[in-house]
Amino acid sequence: MKNFIFSFLALLLLPTFMLGQTQAIKGKVVDSNGMGIPGAIIASADARATADADFDGNFTINAKPGDILKVSMLGFDSVSVPATAATMTITLKEAGDTALKEVVVIGYGTRKKIDNTSAVSSIKSEEITKMKVMNASQAIQGKAAGVQVSTSDAPGSTPSVVIRGAGTALGGRNPLYVVDGMPTDNINNINTNDITSYEVLKDASSLAIYGTRGANGVIMITTKAGKGKITVDVESFAGVRSPLKTVKMANADEYVRYSNAAYSNDFPQGRFSANQPYNTDWLDAITRTGSYTQNNISVSGSSENVKYFFSLGNYEEKGILNGSDYGRTTFRNNNEFKLSEKVKLSQNFSVSNIKNTPMPLSAFTNAYRQSPLVPVRYADGKYGVPFISNGVVSETGTSFNNVGNPVAQLDYTNEQQQSVTLQGGLKLDWDILKSLKFTSQFNGEFYTYKQYNYVDNLALWLSADPTRVAEKYPSDLNKNTLTRNRDQYFNWNLSNYLTYNKVFAEIHDVEVTAGIEANVQGTREKLTIDRKNVNANSNYWSLKDVNVAGTVTGLKDEALNERRLASYFARFQYKLMDKYLVTGTVRRDGSSQFAEDKRWGTFPSVGLGWILSKESFLSNVEPINLLKIRGSWGRLGNQNVPLNTQLLTSGLDYSGLGSGTTINSQVDPNLSWEIVEELSGGFDFEVLNSRLKGSFDVYDKNTTNTILNVKPYSTSGITLATPAHVGEVSNKGYEIALRWDDKINDNLSYWVGGNFSHNKNELTSLKNVQLNPIIGGSLGNGQNTKILDNTSVGQPLGSFYMYEYAGVDPTNGQMLYYKADGSKVAQSGLDELKDKKYVGSLLPTSNYGVTLGLNYKNIDFSVDGYGTGGAKVYNGKKAQRFGGENVEASMANGFWTPTNTTSSIPAPSNLTPYASTYYLESADFFRINNITLGYKLPIRENNFISYCRLYVNAINPFITQKFSGFSPDVVSDGKLVEGTQGVELDAYPSLRSFVIGANLKF
Amino acid sequence: MKRIYISMFVLSGLLLSGCSNDFLDVEPTEAIPADPNLVNSDEGAKGFVTAIYNQFLGWEMSSFGWNAVSSIISDDADKGSDPGDAGGDKDIVDALTYNASTPSFQSTWNANYAGINRCNQALAMFPKLDQATPSLKARLVGETKFMRAFMYFTLVKGYGGVPIIDHLATVPISEEDRKMQLTRKSVAEVYAFIEQDLNDAIEALPLKSEYTGADVVRASKGAAYALLAKVNLYQKNWQKVIDNCDKVTGYSLVSDYSLQYKKEGEFGPESIFEINGVGSTSSPGFGIGNYTVSQAPRGAGGWGWGFNTPTEGLANAYEAGDVRKDATIIFRGSVLYDGREVPSTVANPRYNYKAYSSSFYNQEFTDTNLRYLRYAEVILMKAEALNELGETAAAIPLVNQIRHRAGLGDTPFTSQTDIRKAIYKERRLEFAFEHDRWFDIVRTGQAEAAMAADGKTFIVGKHELWPIPTSFLREANGLSEQNPGGY
Repeated sequence: MKNFIFSFLALLLLPTFMLGQTQAIKGKVVDSNGMGIPGAIIASADARATADADFDGNFTINAKPGDILKVSMLGFDSVSVPATAATMTITLKEAGDTALKEVVVIGYGTRKKIDNTSAVSSIKSEEITKMKVMNASQAIQGKAAGVQVSTSDAPGSTPSVVIRGAGTALGGRNPLYVVDGMPTDNINNINTNDITSYEVLKDASSLAIYGTRGANGVIMITTKAGKGKITVDVESFAGVRSPLKTVKMANADEYVRYSNAAYSNDFPQGRFSANQPYNTDWLDAITRTGSYTQNNISVSGSSENVKYFFSLGNYEEKGILNGSDYGRTTFRNNNEFKLSEKVKLSQNFSVSNIKNTPMPLSAFTNAYRQSPLVPVRYADGKYGVPFISNGVVSETGTSFNNVGNPVAQLDYTNEQQQSVTLQGGLKLDWDILKSLKFTSQFNGEFYTYKQYNYVDNLALWLSADPTRVAEKYPSDLNKNTLTRNRDQYFNWNLSNYLTYNKVFAEIHDVEVTAGIEANVQGTREKLTIDRKNVNANSNYWSLKDVNVAGTVTGLKDEALNERRLASYFARFQYKLMDKYLVTGTVRRDGSSQFAEDKRWGTFPSVGLGWILSKESFLSNVEPINLLKIRGSWGRLGNQNVPLNTQLLTSGLDYSGLGSGTTINSQVDPNLSWEIVEELSGGFDFEVLNSRLKGSFDVYDKNTTNTILNVKPYSTSGITLATPAHVGEVSNKGYEIALRWDDKINDNLSYWVGGNFSHNKNELTSLKNVQLNPIIGGSLGNGQNTKILDNTSVGQPLGSFYMYEYAGVDPTNGQMLYYKADGSKVAQSGLDELKDKKYVGSLLPTSNYGVTLGLNYKNIDFSVDGYGTGGAKVYNGKKAQRFGGENVEASMANGFWTPTNTTSSIPAPSNLTPYASTYYLESADFFRINNITLGYKLPIRENNFISYCRLYVNAINPFITQKFSGFSPDVVSDGKLVEGTQGVELDAYPSLRSFVIGANLKF
Repeated sequence: MKRIYISMFVLSGLLLSGCSNDFLDVEPTEAIPADPNLVNSDEGAKGFVTAIYNQFLGWEMSSFGWNAVSSIISDDADKGSDPGDAGGDKDIVDALTYNASTPSFQSTWNANYAGINRCNQALAMFPKLDQATPSLKARLVGETKFMRAFMYFTLVKGYGGVPIIDHLATVPISEEDRKMQLTRKSVAEVYAFIEQDLNDAIEALPLKSEYTGADVVRASKGAAYALLAKVNLYQKNWQKVIDNCDKVTGYSLVSDYSLQYKKEGEFGPESIFEINGVGSTSSPGFGIGNYTVSQAPRGAGGWGWGFNTPTEGLANAYEAGDVRKDATIIFRGSVLYDGREVPSTVANPRYNYKAYSSSFYNQEFTDTNLRYLRYAEVILMKAEALNELGETAAAIPLVNQIRHRAGLGDTPFTSQTDIRKAIYKERRLEFAFEHDRWFDIVRTGQAEAAMAADGKTFIVGKHELWPIPTSFLREANGLSEQNPGGY
């Protein structure tokens, strides 16, 4: 076979009559760091010979000294050097015009970026590891146009990623992650340092190959492989964290002034005395300076037949909320074995162990709401409570609000979660022929989770009232309760595909990929046990040979449905004359989730590209290095939708008659996946010696059959809503990315870049059905802030729905609201059915990122920023009033009084305020996400320590925001309509972190 | 080596192409699919009917809202509780100032249609259960139709003509089924439907005496005749009332009136149809959710919410010596039959004794039963029909039967008009707090005067019927109209 290749290549070369004596010329091809470049091609036209560099970059070629050797490698500039009899060292420089050489990972293969017709954002490992955060998705915030990342800084939280807008209201909205070929939902188990590339597939042309799982976008993650001589890489950093922004609350004096005014009707003499014994700063009482550290060590390298990569990482964080801790330990081993010239076997394996001690985020809300008059503890050590006696806070008396003591809440929280994720895979690549490759890949994921939550009910009961004594604890109540959870599953994925790649007649470059895939998301087994009155010492909860049935108050033993997918896929990529590009893909998916006759769906796509800069009319235009236009259409599916099996409702017991059974739901037999159709186009360019690069994309994405809950008519007797395909959701937008890189001289280079994306989301139409309104954004005090019902057509998803605030009534200081007819009334005059209106969405219409940096000698410096526009955020913690809680300092000063009637601050009140635009604020913000300053010690490469870089990092050092709360970048439960996304309530503040670290190579 | 790869590839190809549909057949594990094969047995068939009985234990079907629209609304009961606690809408129902959005009318509508759905699910399922014993299935059909008729009777008494849902609608809904669900039928059509169901039930059901053990709670032939007689009564088909009452056999009045409202008196010789509660300290239990607690004494020394309290007018309506008074009303400051004291500090002067449970007095789920059809009612229905047909002399002994059991002497009246009033009064006292009074005063035309005596304004032409819930009219979108009177 090799001979065939040689002769084939030789034929392509100019036939040259060989005059001199040929000999074996030996040498090594290395990169600028001295690392060998495996696979580099060495060709000598003079000698009519070619050779490949081996895994260390070594090569041998039969040539004459003096023959010109042309050495080339994808991603490097080619060089031509004369052969020498002595062992040669040939250094290749990384290619400057990256787009021409860059390779992007696409589904079931890779593609040179220039030949790709689809919209893919690639983020390299340096970009991901630069920002010192736990989850890689947080690090890409602002770095990929069209990808909106919302983050929470709560330890271990998962960022929400929305790619080109949200197209579904009830279905799953998370993108699919594909980690080294394994489809998965979450990457919290992946050590960011192990990632070599993070690519976001954004348009239908690239996503259709993922069929029913493509609609929310796909994120492809590739982990590292060994290369060159053995290298030990060590990275350590440590950082401190504190809230980026806090809210100034009223102090004791301000609270007294505000509350006395609010209670003036019932307590004309004033409810609270002016001199109070305490003035508590509750946020301060529940928080601490957070800290985190990460240590990684990896060993990697390659020999002729083996590439290896081992890594061990540990991440530990002490959250800012007292007592919250999070730790993750990861281990990874990626190996690649060259079994023969034609067969390569790659294996990867990773273990991650996560241990989390979470604390309830409602403590932030309680700290916000609890009065500063209440002490953390009284002098006798008992927890402070909002009791008042003779106008002064005391251990006895009447309660003046319903807020718990957040310090006691944290002290009595005892919860621990531990999970272990094992992921592993085997991949076989077999070059059957030079142009035909067979790939078989198996991946598996095993997850196991356990959790306990211990509640000391007696201690909580005592802490709620200092006058209580343990002897009086009601005997029919549990002294404590213990909940334990176990959860595990095994998922696997097997794909087999053939890739055929051949150039016909020099101008027809054809690549065809076709394959099959089976995917099983195994039964998720969950066990939940509720127990009461267990031993206070956790060591003795699970004694040997002891039957605890008597303490069990609840037991759930659940097995969630197994889900299977069987798929066929094919892709055709064609390049004509290196200029005209066509890509067609099709995937046929069968899903076990749907009724037998609704199981199979076909998802086609087509993409076109034209590299104009290779046309004669542009190829000589000096400033233009690259200009490519692209266009694509495709159809995608979202199978994360409600179950469509008609179910029996059983366990309806009638005394004496046993268990009853009925059907009290109805299922639309047509229910299946949501279908997204997308038309998109764009262009890429590089000009001015590729110093200015950019791309522009525009898309029109339409979810043609969005699932919403249809409400059966009341007389059907069925109250459970029926999910059905009744809506259409449109996402239209554009994305711009620009970057300027320049090198002033050998010592100084710099870059400036940015991206901007705009998306318009809208529920465009509804079938003639009555929707079961989805009401969301509940504050837990009877007030809701969001809705999706028949009136929502024309609005974006995640729209806020509430009364419009109309200012302060100058006659009495009350808050006024607009009625539908435009008149202003107090809240008692409002009609819920008529006067509420849509007032904007929690989804941003735009987001943007900026990056700039420079390298000067051994110093590197970079700044990344991110911002969003057009979104609203509801100040839920401020609005969640029941009466008697603390208010912000801004509310407690300068409010309306009979002598200050023009104030825009309402008169103090303890009414539960209706949900209104008074609490709805702009979520627009711009934040510097990361500043990095690094210094590379001037060490010679052949030292024992070959590389050492020290750096300092500032994460989220600055923000400009209009929102008066902690953070406009709210993730919360990630539920667009029914949940609390967009409402700052029980939310973790954004953090500012300062990090110092070092990176060493041996 | 090569062979292995090739066979691997071919094998995995086969896995997907040849058997891919088998591969995709995954048995559900998280919920039971509505596959008739899974319930194709006697027990499976019974389960669908048990679910209908179970519907009568529902909070919306039989508890707080039902108390509002069948009891608090009438002259027998006040809202009760503290003045500041409206119980959602109990104050405006009590004052007859409710409207079409008042929740209790909505919840009663929903609960009965939810029950009717359970009936229709059962009737649709039975033909698919070929492994169930045919005779059993026939009886279950009878029970189902009895309960469907019972629920339509509640609806027609309260709302007037309502949509008749006699089968399961298609999904997505067909135009025909949409009209079925959204179009109100006439009162006569609803009564005709009820009578058809009851006649079917009579054919299929056994006598109460033929039921043994736990099955005693099930609907029987006697229950179907008694309900049919009551349906005739509401339509003033006097002769049919008499005929059907005569077919209710095998029952007798119990000597101790109060015993019927205690655990040991349930399903006694007088009981024709009652809803069975079994007390429980865990949740959910097998009783009517919060039926007892919502009506139990409130405030200092009490243990409940204190709603649906007997009016002074009711308390004063009893003649001296009527044992039914102390069996019906808990008086503040009294001692209950089990020795439990109701201190004089509780919030209201009177409470509903018939809702009381001795063993589970403060639990959400108690052993309190709802007595919907008793033999006493058969006697009074027959008396009323005889009297209306001019056979007053034949009616009087029946009235006296009821009076004697109550510890009273013979009725002093003899004229048709007086006996009519006497029967109405016996009905009031005999069935007080058994969810009958409101419908009875509307049926008999006493409502305006009775409510005036209670200090409330009954608007003739309006209050005879409850408002049709606004939410339904919105769904109907013109296919149905609101009841008259300006709701």
